[in-house]
Amino acid sequence: MADLTIFMVLLALGYGFGRYAELKHYKSIIRREKEFRDIPAVTTKFPPLSKAVDAELVSGSVVISVDYFKRFIAGLRNLIGGRVTAYELLLDRARREAILRMKEEARAFDGHIIFNVKLETSSIHKGRKNGVGAVEVMAYGTVLIKQ
Amino acid sequence: MEYSNPKIPEGINASTQHPLKEFFLLTGGVLGGVLIVVVVLTLLADRLAVYIPFESEMQLVTRVTDGIPAEGAEPLPIESYLNGLADQIAAEEGLPPEMQLTVHYVDDDLVNAFATLGGHIFMFRGLLEKLPNENAVAMVLAHEIAHIKYRHPIRSMGRGIIFGLAITMVSSTLGNAMTDQVLANTGGVTVLKFSRDQEREADQTALNALYRRYGHVDGADLLFKVLQQQEREGEALQMPEFFSTHPLSEHRIDDIHTFQAEHATATDVATVPLPDQFVAWLIPAETEKTD
Amino acid sequence: MLVTNIEIIPGKRITKHLGLVQGSSVRAKHIGRDIMAGLKNIFGGELKGYTELLQESREEATERMIQQAEAVGANAVLNVRFSTSSVAAGAAELFAYGTAVVLE
Repeated sequence: MADLTIFMVLLALGYGFGRYAELKHYKSIIRREKEFRDIPAVTTKFPPLSKAVDAELVSGSVVISVDYFKRFIAGLRNLIGGRVTAYELLLDRARREAILRMKEEARAFDGHIIFNVKLETSSIHKGRKNGVGAVEVMAYGTVLIKQ
Repeated sequence: MEYSNPKIPEGINASTQHPLKEFFLLTGGVLGGVLIVVVVLTLLADRLAVYIPFESEMQLVTRVTDGIPAEGAEPLPIESYLNGLADQIAAEEGLPPEMQLTVHYVDDDLVNAFATLGGHIFMFRGLLEKLPNENAVAMVLAHEIAHIKYRHPIRSMGRGIIFGLAITMVSSTLGNAMTDQVLANTGGVTVLKFSRDQEREADQTALNALYRRYGHVDGADLLFKVLQQQEREGEALQMPEFFSTHPLSEHRIDDIHTFQAEHATATDVATVPLPDQFVAWLIPAETEKTD
Repeated sequence: MLVTNIEIIPGKRITKHLGLVQGSSVRAKHIGRDIMAGLKNIFGGELKGYTELLQESREEATERMIQQAEAVGANAVLNVRFSTSSVAAGAAELFAYGTAVVLE
């Protein structure tokens, strides 16, 4: 009985705070993506050979954890099978945030375009019994700076 | 060459569906599924357990209880009394002859009595002290004997084993502590339903036996009044019925009253008093020490 | 939609780079499949259920990447990369990303 109450409270807390944080994060992501739209990031390796430029390695990384509520949904989803939407949202947020941080660094260099972007995902912290704890996404690439 | 980063619409990599919708669908689906699986598994275990002959059940227990005194030792006077009473009630309940009863007396304050594998019934001093007449003691015995008659101990064991296996298999595959918890709890609550049904069945059989023996069921509700008292005093934790192994005491008392109303009672309803030495019998520990 | 992991398509000229497009998918198989895979682990050999799971996820991730590319008006995705990560036990996460371009 006590267990159930604690569980319900955790679920409600997870849902409330998790949802609030997620919506806030998405708002901020969309706003900053607009702001950094002038620095394109591409996976192409070879920049067009034109004038001489400076190049600099830039990267951005983020570790995000999923809330209790989503972890619960994902656990149930694991039983039935299918799309685990709880984690899809988490990863989408993490990747976009990592790219944005990379672009922030590029802006600090006064760069104007990032080439050969690569993204790495790893789950750095496994929670109890292998349940997902948090994911780390790192984005890196080479920024070209006009001389 | 032109390089740009146009805006990509939302909702391609992550669904925009409201998470609560998924939550309700999933919990509903999973809980329903668990319910069905547990019910099927326990029914299966239930059906199969009955085919285990009572003899092998007794052998199983003798192996465990070997070395615990009782065997061979002179039974305590209280045990002789309880065994005598139990045999009479067993006859009223129509217990098959191969089912042998052994009533044990436990010198402990615990207010409890239980029946277990191999026809062994354990009565605690704590409970016996609180029962004022033979009818009440008979009700306890009749209830436990009914458990044995319906093979409840072995059926519960079979259920426990199958349920445990299923949970272990799922949890070792899933590797998610939280989901394990949810599955185990839902399963557990479902199993409790079976347990409560068994208790109700035993209560009814006990009442019938009492009615046949004494012509009335007065005093039968004393047992549950004692339990209720315990709950009120906070010595026993009272849980909602949904989470308990037994039906609520007040429901059981109500059932007894319904039974009373349905069955014509002899005009002179008198409860049979306990033997005079009963109270003295209840403290064998001291007497043994003085020997 | 042309999807490739080379950078330059011989004979075709890139007129416009539209930046990074990505698709990801996290999927899980139902518990029955997980148990079977667990048993299969004893004998070794291909875990068909999981091969299928990863394949499905990969297709979905690619599909989503193409959707993004279409949404920005590209007609090809170049230099595509796939990556797999295990986010949770029993679930597969597939990720595909590349550069959306307009080919002549």
